Amino acid sequence: MLNAIWNQIVDLTIVVVLFRFMTPILLAALGGLISDIAGVINISLEGLMLLSAFTSIAVCSGTGSWALGIAAGAAVAVAVSYAIGFFSIRLKVDIIIAGFAVNIFGSGFTIFMMNKMYGQAGNYSPPDLHNIPNVNIPFLEHVPVIGKLLSGHSLMVWAAFILVAFCVALIYKTPYGVHLRAVGEAPDAAKSVGIPVRRVQYSALAWSGLFAGLAGAYLSTGMTSMFVKDMTAGTGFLALAVVLLGNRNPIGILIGSFIFGLASAVTTIVQTIPGSQYPTQFIQMIPYVVTILALVFFALRKKRRHALAV
Amino acid sequence: MKTSKTLYLDITGIVLAALIALVCGFAVILVTSSDPLAAIKSLLVDPLSNWFNVGTILNKAVPLIFTGLALSVAFQSGVFSMGAEGQLYVGGFLGSLIAISLPGLSPWIHLPLIFVCAMIGGALFGAIPGYLKAYLNANEIVTTLMLNFVATLGTSYFVNNVFKDPSSGGYARMEFFEKDLLLGKIIPGFSAHAGILIAILAVVVVHLLMYKTKLGYELRLVGKNSQFAAYGGIKTKRVIIYSIMIGGALAGLAGIVEILGVHGTYKDNFSNGLGFDGIIIALLARNNPIGVLVAALFYAYIQVGAQTMQMGSDMPRELAVIIQVMLVLLVSAQAIFTYLKQRYAKDQKAVK
Repeated sequence: MLNAIWNQIVDLTIVVVLFRFMTPILLAALGGLISDIAGVINISLEGLMLLSAFTSIAVCSGTGSWALGIAAGAAVAVAVSYAIGFFSIRLKVDIIIAGFAVNIFGSGFTIFMMNKMYGQAGNYSPPDLHNIPNVNIPFLEHVPVIGKLLSGHSLMVWAAFILVAFCVALIYKTPYGVHLRAVGEAPDAAKSVGIPVRRVQYSALAWSGLFAGLAGAYLSTGMTSMFVKDMTAGTGFLALAVVLLGNRNPIGILIGSFIFGLASAVTTIVQTIPGSQYPTQFIQMIPYVVTILALVFFALRKKRRHALAV
Repeated sequence: MKTSKTLYLDITGIVLAALIALVCGFAVILVTSSDPLAAIKSLLVDPLSNWFNVGTILNKAVPLIFTGLALSVAFQSGVFSMGAEGQLYVGGFLGSLIAISLPGLSPWIHLPLIFVCAMIGGALFGAIPGYLKAYLNANEIVTTLMLNFVATLGTSYFVNNVFKDPSSGGYARMEFFEKDLLLGKIIPGFSAHAGILIAILAVVVVHLLMYKTKLGYELRLVGKNSQFAAYGGIKTKRVIIYSIMIGGALAGLAGIVEILGVHGTYKDNFSNGLGFDGIIIALLARNNPIGVLVAALFYAYIQVGAQTMQMGSDMPRELAVIIQVMLVLLVSAQAIFTYLKQRYAKDQKAVK
């Protein structure tokens, strides 16, 4: 097994696989981060991704345009995020419960629509889908190592990396970012200085919907070219974990997604080795265990600081 | 203060919410079905049209009652656990191990042992997030969600590799239990198994525990106001761990009863979300044990209705999801309930 993994490291296949797996985690986690910072914890990333994955593949195969597909998927995810906002901020449903409801909804409604629109129960793969294109960098793509490292990745992979920088700028360099953090840390204080708390909360949810939407669109029209029921398979929860693992900061989230993507990549590689007898369950378990350990670590550190301060 | 009038308002509100949720489901049927009336009929009437379906409703309600109770105990003490799914797997797994590893033991000793082990398994697995919350203030929503994956993946490994029945082929399960360990039918010929009796017993026990014992009082007080409880001398940390462990034990029971009543052995991924359905049940029931019984029966009725609808019309059974989601959102919309109560209070004043 180690031999096979080593071979894939040497010929850099693992980098390609890693980027494919970390992109949806990274995108969804960035969305989770923004809503988390504003104090509206969005646990519905999983459901939003499913809704967007289905919408984008349906629109993409209908219109032949991947861009329209992404736009439609993201739009649906944003709209549903607003609905979460309406129920939690306006009707005072606990935000965890609202998010939980959207997770059930996303799983069930996509199966329902797949059944109604295409008569399929388990998966839908349109014959000639125009996927999100790969970016082949001229000249570089033929250079041995660098070519494989940098060229040939999906456009969405690059978009995800760029969006990390975007989030850093948004959260730490703009007045809006200050509002986000203020609303998250002390909503009453924020209100007293005239920050429109509700509007900021709605907008934070909308951001998380947008990012989860991009992640979902990538799942169905970039990473694969099909929709499979419950195809997110816990990615949204991984993203939630990454937000905490990354200590609620975009760069930390980039690193966290890298670790989780690596665990998924290794799992896939081990599973695809012919005649592999290795149990992959424990590799799959790594991200979750790491997250719990990280939570414990952060908590202990906080406790110690607290003790020192007192 | 919970007077009988506010209780009455709460129940009316929940029933109204259920009706509105059903109407939402009907609306979707009207829009998407070619024969809406047949679909609605097969959704509402068919589950009750014969004894077999009624028995299926009872069987479906059994694990939901247990997980609903499990989560209502945790919720009442202010622990927002989402971990019933994982606890259910661990409890069911441990109970099943006892079931296959002690052949020939008298069922009178064996069966209680299985139940106890399933409860211990669930309780210990629940103790982890409980401890993390109580002593490290780690967010229990996240830890329980993560531990769910640890539990499903871990048990999946063992049932695929170590304890797999060699004769099961490609299907990951343990060897089938001895026949006399399984929960039989209550009445011969009626499809409901004896799990429903155990579930009703559990409802009574949890009700007594929550409302008639000191521990139950402490649990509820910590949930209402943990600082006040601590001020009053209650060891809140210990109470939090107890509540989630009791929840875990009930979730473990859910798993083993489902195995003994329906599956006959431990199968990989046998739960498929029972622990999450329990969250809905607890919400609908407002954490009241008797409410859990009613909510679980209603929920099971909708689920069976969705299946009969899938067979009897052109609607897929996922339609039930729309009803479930609306139900969850409407029932937990505090603003609506506060509004109703204010309206009611105003009317009372106007009368006087």
